[in-house]
Amino acid sequence: MAKGIKVRFQPPLAITLLILGFFVFVPMISAFEYSIRTPLTGGYGWTHYIWAVREDDFFHYILRSMWLAGVTVLITLFVLVPTLTWLHLSRSKVRGLIDGLSLLPLVIPVVAFAVGAQISFPEFVQNTVLELPFLYFVLALPYAYRSLDIGLNSIPLKTITEAARSAGANWWRTITAVIVPVIRGSVMATIALTFALSLGEYTLTVLLHWDTFPTWVTFVAQDNILGAIAISMMSLIIPFLILTVITLFVPERSMQGRK
Amino acid sequence: MSSKSLTLRNISKRFGNVNALDNFNLEVGVGELVALLGPSGCGKTTALRVVAGLEHQDAGTVLVADKNISDVPAHKRNMGMVFQAYSLFPNLTVEENVAFGLQMRKVSKHLRLKKAHELLDLVGLDSQSKRFTHQLSGGQQQRVALARALAFEPEILLLDEPLSALDAQVRVNLREEIRRLQLSLGTTTLFVTHDQEEAMAISDRVGVMNNGVLEQIDTPDTLYNKPASSFVAGFVGTMNRIPAHISDGMVEIFGSKVVALKRGNETGKVHALIRPESISVAATTAQGNAKVLTRSFMGASSNIICQTEDGTIVQSLMTSASTGDLLPGSSVQLRVLSSEVLVANV
Repeated sequence: MAKGIKVRFQPPLAITLLILGFFVFVPMISAFEYSIRTPLTGGYGWTHYIWAVREDDFFHYILRSMWLAGVTVLITLFVLVPTLTWLHLSRSKVRGLIDGLSLLPLVIPVVAFAVGAQISFPEFVQNTVLELPFLYFVLALPYAYRSLDIGLNSIPLKTITEAARSAGANWWRTITAVIVPVIRGSVMATIALTFALSLGEYTLTVLLHWDTFPTWVTFVAQDNILGAIAISMMSLIIPFLILTVITLFVPERSMQGRK
Repeated sequence: MSSKSLTLRNISKRFGNVNALDNFNLEVGVGELVALLGPSGCGKTTALRVVAGLEHQDAGTVLVADKNISDVPAHKRNMGMVFQAYSLFPNLTVEENVAFGLQMRKVSKHLRLKKAHELLDLVGLDSQSKRFTHQLSGGQQQRVALARALAFEPEILLLDEPLSALDAQVRVNLREEIRRLQLSLGTTTLFVTHDQEEAMAISDRVGVMNNGVLEQIDTPDTLYNKPASSFVAGFVGTMNRIPAHISDGMVEIFGSKVVALKRGNETGKVHALIRPESISVAATTAQGNAKVLTRSFMGASSNIICQTEDGTIVQSLMTSASTGDLLPGSSVQLRVLSSEVLVANV
């Protein structure tokens, strides 16, 4: 935010933020408080966290889930950025239809979608863990689509695309060197949403008989509920740290006041 | 110097039912600045976009130095383009914007920044090189866009109404700057505008377009003094259309006979096309042939609007010193100063 801009206190906004904060943070704080309880001594400690990271499967499953989430992010960006760019530039009537289709994953039950989607995959993907990122991509589609759509709507896409092409950039360079950096905020939001959704996806994974971090946590919870909560807390913090690092490493360029 | 000639041959382009370009032909010589001028929807921007490769023609060929580039994609055409809307990349600094074309051509960072600074120096913005584009004024942004378009030494420079979003004074300054740069670099340039003053001021030749067709292409002087069609006559500059009678090659206007230039009927009723500066207005105590409606003082010259006995409105442009006694309502005598006039059919 530019220097000198004062944020005025607005009671309705403050109340909304307070209520939202209550819903987001109170369960997290409660879970954290619960996870550091040590019933044997009646005090607090890191026992369950230490137990979790000493579990052999902890790193195996969290790395597997993060790897799958990373692949999902790549699929999402590779498919959606060029597609949405084309839809915006062509001003095609198909755009309205695709807007609607992108919302379908919200209304189709995962149970109905999982098996049908799986058998439609090519054979080299079917029955390998690679099918999960493609399915996660579909589940994340409504959020990722909208996030990128807003970004592309907020820039003079046609002009800067034509400027890039006439300056010698082919389509690939136009997208990677111009469009993606210009809608960086939307791209980061898409990465965060898709990554988080993929990392926490449970229903579809169980239906297709795969083991990932969320299914492992459920398994562990049967024997050690406090340990499972400690693991869940870590699974919240780890992606948050990763996304923070990504944000810090992608250079921030000034785009305020763009026209 | 990498500038080349440009030829458009029999270009046609339709958008739905609209004929944007209809068998359009154009030649621009090496180092020449040609403006395409015309009303909105006349096809001038489409012609430019076809040259840039941003639109593909339905028929016809685009040649650069006699090489057919009709099917070459936009990014391989080596043409610099400046757009009407601000088109700088908001995530890049000014120098990075200017160096963008060279980056796409895989020029080393050192060389491309050197070239970017040279160009920024030419447009007087080297001191702003580290700024982001939103920190610049509209005029400065278009200067940067011009530097970006010229940095990779394009074969053709394409200007798509680059001044139309700017304030009047900035427009005048920047158009002079464009001409200065174009002349010093010798870049073949196609300039699209709807502003005739802009086109006339900086172009070697001006092409007037109407309904996808080039009505006339000539030097600004010829275009103004010898318009090839009634449309060009009316579009370029101000033109009086005065009802008159023609016979034996002579037109009778305001009681005197003047030689009729070609075009129009040989005998009968016609319109005489006369520039305001070719009509004199003199105050008279006797019954004149018109009355003064308004007199607008514009400094060195004044604009006099008169109405003749038959109701025709006539505009005259005269030096202000000679118009002091031309008061609204006064009776005046109109006279044609030129010895020959253009005529058009009624």
